[in-house]
Amino acid sequence: MKRKIILLAAIFILAVILGILKGSVNLNFLELINRANRQILHLRLARVVLAIVASSGLSVCGIVLQAILRNPLAEPYLLGTSSGAGLGAVIAITLGAASFYIPFAAFIGAISTTLLVYYISRERGKIGVQSLILSGVIVSIAFSAVILFLLSTSERQTLHGISWWLWGNLEVFDYKLLFAVTLIVALGVFATYMFSQDLNAISIGEEEALHLGVNVELVKKILLFLVSLITAAIISVCGVIGFVGLIIPHITRLVIGPNHRLLIPVSCILSSAFMLLCDSFARALFSPSEIPIGVITAIVGAPIFIILLKKSEVK
Amino acid sequence: MDTLLKVESICGGYDNKPVINNVSLEIKQADFLGIIGPNGGGKSTLLRLMSRALIPIKGKISLEGRDLARLSHKEVAKKIAFIPQLTLINFSFTVWEIVLMGRIPHLSRMQPEGKIDFSIAERALSLTDTLNLRNRRIDELSAGERQRVIIAKALAQEPLLLFLDEPTSHLDIGHQVQILDLLAELNRKNNLSIVIVLHDLNLAGEYCKNIILLDNGEIFKQGSPEQVLTYQNIESLYKTIVVVKDNPVTLKPHVLLVPGNIKCKQE
Amino acid sequence: MQIKHKIAAIILVLTVCFSFTNSIFPQDSKLRIISLAPATTEILFALGLDCEIVGVSEFCNYPDRAKAKQRIGTFSQPNIEKILSLKPDLIVCTGLEQAPVIAKLRQLNLNIFVSDPKSINELFTSIREIGILTGKDKESKALIDKMTYRIKEVNSRVSKIPQSERQKVFIEIWHSPLTTVGAGSFINELITLAGGINITADIKSAYSTVPQEVVLKRDPDCIILAYMGNLSPVEQVITRPGWHNVAAVKNKRVYNDIDPDSLLRPGPRIVEALDELNKKIYPDG
Repeated sequence: MKRKIILLAAIFILAVILGILKGSVNLNFLELINRANRQILHLRLARVVLAIVASSGLSVCGIVLQAILRNPLAEPYLLGTSSGAGLGAVIAITLGAASFYIPFAAFIGAISTTLLVYYISRERGKIGVQSLILSGVIVSIAFSAVILFLLSTSERQTLHGISWWLWGNLEVFDYKLLFAVTLIVALGVFATYMFSQDLNAISIGEEEALHLGVNVELVKKILLFLVSLITAAIISVCGVIGFVGLIIPHITRLVIGPNHRLLIPVSCILSSAFMLLCDSFARALFSPSEIPIGVITAIVGAPIFIILLKKSEVK
Repeated sequence: MDTLLKVESICGGYDNKPVINNVSLEIKQADFLGIIGPNGGGKSTLLRLMSRALIPIKGKISLEGRDLARLSHKEVAKKIAFIPQLTLINFSFTVWEIVLMGRIPHLSRMQPEGKIDFSIAERALSLTDTLNLRNRRIDELSAGERQRVIIAKALAQEPLLLFLDEPTSHLDIGHQVQILDLLAELNRKNNLSIVIVLHDLNLAGEYCKNIILLDNGEIFKQGSPEQVLTYQNIESLYKTIVVVKDNPVTLKPHVLLVPGNIKCKQE
Repeated sequence: MQIKHKIAAIILVLTVCFSFTNSIFPQDSKLRIISLAPATTEILFALGLDCEIVGVSEFCNYPDRAKAKQRIGTFSQPNIEKILSLKPDLIVCTGLEQAPVIAKLRQLNLNIFVSDPKSINELFTSIREIGILTGKDKESKALIDKMTYRIKEVNSRVSKIPQSERQKVFIEIWHSPLTTVGAGSFINELITLAGGINITADIKSAYSTVPQEVVLKRDPDCIILAYMGNLSPVEQVITRPGWHNVAAVKNKRVYNDIDPDSLLRPGPRIVEALDELNKKIYPDG
């Protein structure tokens, strides 16, 4: 077990180094640390930080949702955050807001949508797992329709803006925003980690957890709040980056087991390595163009997911 | 002998609709109480009320003298372990990890398990004869093995009372006897109080010291197996003709069914 | 014959004659044209086809006269019913993005001309062909001559500037994600004609997103913001992390006052855009 973790940590460090050294602009190590290229180095570091923050946050949210909803297909955008963020962004662009306001519009959109989904699915003060999934899907479909409507009736500028939201982007335009998102995600992930024990209990059954002394309804509410906050923060800055929140939890479980005390921190390491490697690959291969990160994670992630699925069926 | 759990005239159910009406009973140390009765009679509901999964609408339940409704789930979990009917575990935890979860009521949120917890978990494994399964994954076990592991988890809680909701209805006869023999031994040797909901009247008759016959949310009959398992009681509740004879080996009452006596209403 | 039979026969004959008169002597003998894109609308107006245009898209806003025309739907979703009701003789539209609509209209046996120029030469060809189709042959030649003249004007200014003093230009089409133009776009051609060097000319496609570090490394002398919809405060660009070191930012040469429509629409106004570009890239002439 310890060997596995050390190996993963080594891959992570390698991925970080790769993320700093390889980019759209071809610079060797000495050139990079030269004062003249200081700004590029800073940009790369910021991008690495965002990649780590975004991927860790998404994978932890995926883990939590898969445990609470006891559904292996659960992923962070299930509760409507992605379409809510997209709607917020599209509305802001359509109304002519400056680019500065778009992350905030996306954030508010994401949070409001999750609240709406939660409100629709409430059954007498309890959170029904089935109705939560159902209302999440319905709200997502409805909002996507509204987004399409706005896109088709507005000028092409929104088409450009929407590709940010649809396929994700790890560029950092505002260090203050990066700091805020890092803070929110770090606190959120840490708070979630504190509920590892509860998550273990809930993942073997809500009733079982209740009889082990876990206040299941309260824990579900807190965790869903944390998941919404983390996902909204990430999506408001990066757009939708798919697959990470869905497959990294599964891969990590295969490697390290379902105990959340290990699962949560190891998934952060694994997802960060994954994201950084995808990003370096994308940037170096298509330089100076940029392939949206969500495209790469999907292209790389889908076959991995299929292989995993086949393996688990064989068992 | 101390009363561990006292149930006083409770009414309880779901959505404020009472399923259980005016039920009173007492559980003492080393009791082995069976709850039987026709479908829909409220057996599972009663068990849930007694384990604080549900709060009674009327009446009071006291655990060691304290009002159950005022206790937190954690405090209850230190005294009462509950084994529900079906435990579907989708994640491949190892047996060891599952049994260690039984220690959760005794640990604070961020506290990792310590030496004491490990030794208690090991003891639970040995009591249920599952030590050799320790490193196996829960989803690889047979139904009987899994049930024993779940019981081990419950034992790791170090409870005073063990509640089980039809723990053997999906097991074959061999595993049924295995599980109930285990429970009987725990009751005998470790003074563990057991409350068990059973469908099978004969299992109740063989193993339980006392039986409650529940119908329509009320106690129809309460007492020893010989007192409760009479053909009159069974026939009037289950609406089928039976013959009650003694098991030649154990001399406990055995309910024999008589096929063909219930006539379907013909058009 | 009875009276009522006579009256019925007269009515029948009159109806037949009336319906014939409509087709023999049509209400107006002018061509009826619908334009589905702002660029093609501008071309049509420049050829003097104001009266012939019976319908335009929602976003056709130049020249002013275009705003008064009947709307037939959005750029990506033109209303087929509306188009049919206007009985067009010719529909002019642009390529890729309107492809599904074009397919649908072709099925209905309508006359369609697709104008999708990727270079100035192709634009001229388009204008010629539209001119021939609409009987404005002379006018199209005149328009092309006018445009060619203005291009030559800029060219003569540019040729005086030695290669070593050519300015590096970055054109920003959108901010998030950061989008610019590549070799496949005629905007790239405009920049070259204006005497500038597009720092992302090595991108083969027309448009592409680009990471900030590319801009920082290639250090453009001049940045042009051309967001559609005219929302482009210079502030949000120059405050980006690390951009204060870019030559264009240091020398306050970030411009957002070239009308993006003139730059982005392949139509008669590109020569104005070219002129503007040239003046921005070389403010001292």
